[in-house]
Amino acid sequence: MRSFSEYNPIVIAVWFLSVTGIAMFCNYPLLMVISLVGAVAFFVMRNGLSHGKTHIFFWVLFLILALANPLVSHNGKTVLFVMNHNPVTLEATLYGLNSAAMIIGVLYWLRSFTQIMTSEKLLYITGALSPKLSLVLSMALRFVPLFGRQSAKINAAQTAMGLYRDDNIIDDIKGKSRVFSVMVTWALENGIITADSMEARGFGTGRRTQMRRFRFAAADIAFLLTELGLLGITCAAVGTKSLSFVFYPSITAKAPDMLGVLGLISYGLMILMPMILELVVNLKWKYLRSAV
Amino acid sequence: MLLIRNEKLRNAVRIAVPFFIIPTISILGALVFDGKRHILIALAVAVLSLVLFAAGFEKKSTGTRRMVIVAVMTALCFAGRFIPFLKPVAALTIITGLYLGGEAGFLVGSLSAVLSNFYFGQGPWTAFQMLAWGLIGLFACMLSKQLLGSRILLLLYGALAGLGYSFFMDIWTVLWYNEEFSIKLYAAALVSAIPYTVSYAVSNVLFLYLLAPPFGEKLRRIKVKYGV
Repeated sequence: MRSFSEYNPIVIAVWFLSVTGIAMFCNYPLLMVISLVGAVAFFVMRNGLSHGKTHIFFWVLFLILALANPLVSHNGKTVLFVMNHNPVTLEATLYGLNSAAMIIGVLYWLRSFTQIMTSEKLLYITGALSPKLSLVLSMALRFVPLFGRQSAKINAAQTAMGLYRDDNIIDDIKGKSRVFSVMVTWALENGIITADSMEARGFGTGRRTQMRRFRFAAADIAFLLTELGLLGITCAAVGTKSLSFVFYPSITAKAPDMLGVLGLISYGLMILMPMILELVVNLKWKYLRSAV
Repeated sequence: MLLIRNEKLRNAVRIAVPFFIIPTISILGALVFDGKRHILIALAVAVLSLVLFAAGFEKKSTGTRRMVIVAVMTALCFAGRFIPFLKPVAALTIITGLYLGGEAGFLVGSLSAVLSNFYFGQGPWTAFQMLAWGLIGLFACMLSKQLLGSRILLLLYGALAGLGYSFFMDIWTVLWYNEEFSIKLYAAALVSAIPYTVSYAVSNVLFLYLLAPPFGEKLRRIKVKYGV
């Protein structure tokens, strides 16, 4: 049994795409609440109580986004009060709250996505799509620390030659730009050498392989199928207007029909899937450890 | 493996996407979704244009040397995004487009968006950023004769690219927030983004002013020496 982040990257990507996609393309308030609560719970479950700055940033943004709409848009029938000769309406306020919940929910989901989808996993997916682009990406990733180390070396050499002094600011800038210039020349030349060396070893003659291979095990297939089934029900509910909600000119909420309720439940289940997985794995880990 | 390794499929993508799928999506979007859900259409078109580009890139037998140089420039852009306030990404993309051609420019712009977003956060906006930066590089190549001839034009192009990038990304902001495009919200988004817009334009001009001549020299040297 593996935790969610150990599943095949394709499964993980499909799950994130469907959860965030549904949240972005549907405006049903209850669905937004499910998404937002799920996103925060998932993030907290993975990170504990750290990342305080992220939380503060997101909730300040939530306030700004929620307030922006009633100040800019004056649609809606129910006027709450008048500010600067512009009416502030109940509908616009609720619409702003709804949009803010959607955006902050999706931002939380994407923060978790960025944590789980490491560059290595994304290279696996882009490698399936276009091996050449994936190669360029992985080389660029490898160049960043290499350039950092090389600049340190150049810097040391320049200092040893007495060419680098940082006691006055103009000298400092001059020295830094000299180091940068040397580094770029070196990087380009080094790139050519790398390319020649790659070609000498037969680059481009055979199939490209990945550094890490992700298997598609039975659990992956089961997860993917369950997820796609739940996604289908949710899409049917969203697509057939069972979950529609009209804000303007006045709020008309009809109780969701059978399909709408099913859609909401399956969206909730879809969000719960990785959390249940994580919970079971954690429990198992604890249980096994205490048994030893 | 799935899509682009098969040559026939690759050609099919190249023809079908620009002439069939993108117009169909746009028209369907206008008719079926009655003005709503613009974001879905915008996102689909952005992703498809990137797929189209990937299909073209995969087909060409781009030299290994050129590919590695693109990787080098992408890495420099990635590192440059960590400089506070001033972002050299667009400037480096423009320089690449000018000296190494439109394809390289597009690649450097779009790939540095994907790469740096591993740090700054991935999201649907990644596709828009990729497209915006990629197009900045592509247009730089199309205008390369004029831009290489006059430095003032180059700096002007940098400033315009900064403005254009900000305006383009704000369309996305509004669509995401509101589903329907609204001029009022767009204006509000533009106004609230003024500091960013200014910083983009200023950093483009500044970095083009500082980096274009020496970088151009180096890239030209590499081109002459190794025939990239």
